Amino acid sequence: MSCNFKFGGMKALLAMGGLLCLLASNATAQTSSGQLTITMSVQSSITLVFQNNPSVGTTGFCPLTNAGTNNVGLDFGTAAFPGSFHTLACVNYQHIGAAVYQVSSAFDVVVSKSNSSSPNYRLAAQISTPPPANVSWLLDNVTLTTAGFTTLDTADNYATPITKTLQVQVKNSVPAQPLLETITFLATAN
Amino acid sequence: MLKKYISIMRGAALAALLMCGASLPAQTTASGVINGSLNNTSGIAIQFDSDPAGVTLGAAGTNAATANFGTVSAFGPLAAGVTRPSVTATNFTVRTIFDVQVTSGGLTSTSYTLTANLAAATPSGMSYKVDAITLTTALQTIQVNGSYNTDIAHNLDLVILTAAPGAGGPAVNTPITTTINFTATAN
Repeated sequence: MSCNFKFGGMKALLAMGGLLCLLASNATAQTSSGQLTITMSVQSSITLVFQNNPSVGTTGFCPLTNAGTNNVGLDFGTAAFPGSFHTLACVNYQHIGAAVYQVSSAFDVVVSKSNSSSPNYRLAAQISTPPPANVSWLLDNVTLTTAGFTTLDTADNYATPITKTLQVQVKNSVPAQPLLETITFLATAN
Repeated sequence: MLKKYISIMRGAALAALLMCGASLPAQTTASGVINGSLNNTSGIAIQFDSDPAGVTLGAAGTNAATANFGTVSAFGPLAAGVTRPSVTATNFTVRTIFDVQVTSGGLTSTSYTLTANLAAATPSGMSYKVDAITLTTALQTIQVNGSYNTDIAHNLDLVILTAAPGAGGPAVNTPITTTINFTATAN
């Protein structure tokens, strides 16, 4: 009798052990793993944007359209030689000599660099189409041409606003007409 | 004597009947059984898929895929499927999107947890994020309730310092390779 009881107890223990094993097996978390390998190469780069000068709105500092980008607009409004006529208060208007008037406005150029050890940059500009006779486009008193880029600065600092003044000089003999020009700026890392 | 003769004849007749039965046609049917068995186990599997908005993965559809960002820079052009969500004075981020699909079988689990870690320390000037979670060599939880059997898109961001090489920034014009380990665990 005692032997039978012991044998029955052993069977129960074995059954329970098996059950526990099954439970333990089911409790194991199911996992799966994978690998994603990334490749890339970093390249040095610089960028140029035009910004409104902090004095924007005052005389000589007209607002840019689309400021903060590398493709902006600068409108001088309407002007004429007689009577120092000009329609925008932000335009700096003046007569130069006896027969030429000039409108001008300043803005900022900011060039930033990334992943580069270049200490500074060169800045140049050119106009896209030849202006009518007796009309000149200038930056900081440097006349621009379509022949090539004209150097404006040789060592400007990155991430620093550089104020540039765009001028248009028109002789009083120039017929009334819209004067449109696209000025391309080129910054080159030194 | 006659009784003995009759008895012999009966025995001979019975033997003839038995022999006759033995010569009947052979049995034409047979039967058998196959005891089939299958151990249907449970499991899950992870794979990486290309996302329509991201770069095309190498070895897509497997658990060992590659993502090539190509040449990246703060201001220059980027490869198809790579975007640049931010540029600051100190760093810029380039991003692609990839899909993770986890399939399951034999489980009552209805979702999974996705974790990831870098296989090695980050290269100089770089950090890696999956869904805005910065990765390290230790496991980070990316998602706690992923659904099985469907592609789930994840952002993979590379945050790159703008500093020059040698000044904290990454090496330039040099291929940089990093491996991210992903693990899906059934909830």
